[in-house]
Amino acid sequence: MLNLIRRDYILLKWQILIFIPFVLFFIFFGDHLDPAFIFLIASFYISFSTYTYDEKAETNRLLNSLPYTRKEIIASRYLGGMVHMIVAIAFTSALLFIFNKPYTVTDIAISSALFLVFASLFFPLFYVIKKGFFTPVVIISFLVISFIGPPIASFFANHVTAVTNFINNLSVPALYSGSVLVSMFIYAVSWGISVIIYERKAF
Amino acid sequence: MENVVELKGVTKNFKGFSVENMNLEVKQGYITGFIGENGAGKSTTLKMIMNLLRPDAGEVNIFGMDYKQHEKEIKQRIGFVYDSNVFFEGLNVKDIKRIVAPAYKQWDDALFYRYVEQFELPLNKAIKTFSKGMQMKVSLAIALSHHAEFIIMDEPTAGLDPIFRRELLHLLQEIMEDGQRTIFFSTHITTDLDRIADYIALIQKGNLLFNHSIHEIEENYTLVKGSLDLLDRDTEQAFVHVHRTSTGFEALAKNVQNVEHTFGNDVVMERASLEDIMYYFKGGMQHA
Repeated sequence: MLNLIRRDYILLKWQILIFIPFVLFFIFFGDHLDPAFIFLIASFYISFSTYTYDEKAETNRLLNSLPYTRKEIIASRYLGGMVHMIVAIAFTSALLFIFNKPYTVTDIAISSALFLVFASLFFPLFYVIKKGFFTPVVIISFLVISFIGPPIASFFANHVTAVTNFINNLSVPALYSGSVLVSMFIYAVSWGISVIIYERKAF
Repeated sequence: MENVVELKGVTKNFKGFSVENMNLEVKQGYITGFIGENGAGKSTTLKMIMNLLRPDAGEVNIFGMDYKQHEKEIKQRIGFVYDSNVFFEGLNVKDIKRIVAPAYKQWDDALFYRYVEQFELPLNKAIKTFSKGMQMKVSLAIALSHHAEFIIMDEPTAGLDPIFRRELLHLLQEIMEDGQRTIFFSTHITTDLDRIADYIALIQKGNLLFNHSIHEIEENYTLVKGSLDLLDRDTEQAFVHVHRTSTGFEALAKNVQNVEHTFGNDVVMERASLEDIMYYFKGGMQHA
């Protein structure tokens, strides 16, 4: 199964070279951007680049003809997602550090939590949506969520005060580690759903 | 004699097409050709053998094991060649090998490079720049480099030029020499099989019509020609299908002795080719 994760890096050989200038672009021209956002974009970059390969029917025929089970193929996706996230965070931190841009562990926690939540939504969708539609759906829903997400959240924050009070009472480390834990739980549920979907597919 | 593949009562329904209650055995140590027209269910059957598609009912056993419990063990021992390239087309042969090889416990790098040399495959060019024949050779080199006992091929000769087709058939014969390997391949080019197949399985509209050895086919099936007045309801029973023309009839018979017994020397018998057999099983031309 590790082979399947390693495969992503063989496939991305050239795209990784574009990855560095891609992140640098955000570092230099995105002064107003939160570092958490740069971490998030970087994490998505690697994960979704590999998906463009897996969208092809041939790739699924190949993977399923090789001695892997369907459960392993999905597991490699989800574990791979976390590996890609860690790699992206490491690279981005190094670049931020080299170019003397400040960031905190909080930024990393926020971006990891957000990445896991977004990935939890998109990974199962990938196996449901027709070939060719996945990228537009992801981009549109990403934008929609980014726009309507914060107003909805603040609406709830103002109206469901019990939850707000509970969150306000948490210490900052508890809050961030809590949200990472919750997002990992969502990620695990999403993993289970993807396995169920993928087991039923024909190639 | 052991079977590498056993399908028992396998059924798969699609909209407007289904494979019905198929029982198929592929014998170990032989080349079995799987023939049928386009859309007869060849690919569907192959996909079920590879577990790319799961049957609605029935059992699929490979090497006597089922996919539910032994998927990885089974696939370790299978080499596959598909009708189109399934490898990442932007990669070169070396990178493809780096991705595929670690999946197999028995991968043999030296053997792989021997095939690469034999097939004259460039290692550092993207596979999408290869011709169809070259892409097929890549699949074949990979399929042969992990000591697979069972090689499954979906239309491997489709789209290949005649010279390369011959080379391929020759190569398949060569890899059969140790007697351990089994090859199952689908094709609609029946002349390929006349040369190399030991067994022929014929599928039509999702039904397996027969799975016989080449000898059985040669001994039993025959083309019969004679005049129309020999035909009546009883004598026609001897035939799979009869094709009538103004000058006489031409028909395919399943049992040579039967024909000799019924018609004696009144008819002419000829060897039936696989193409003849496919044609008559289909019911000849529809107006016949």
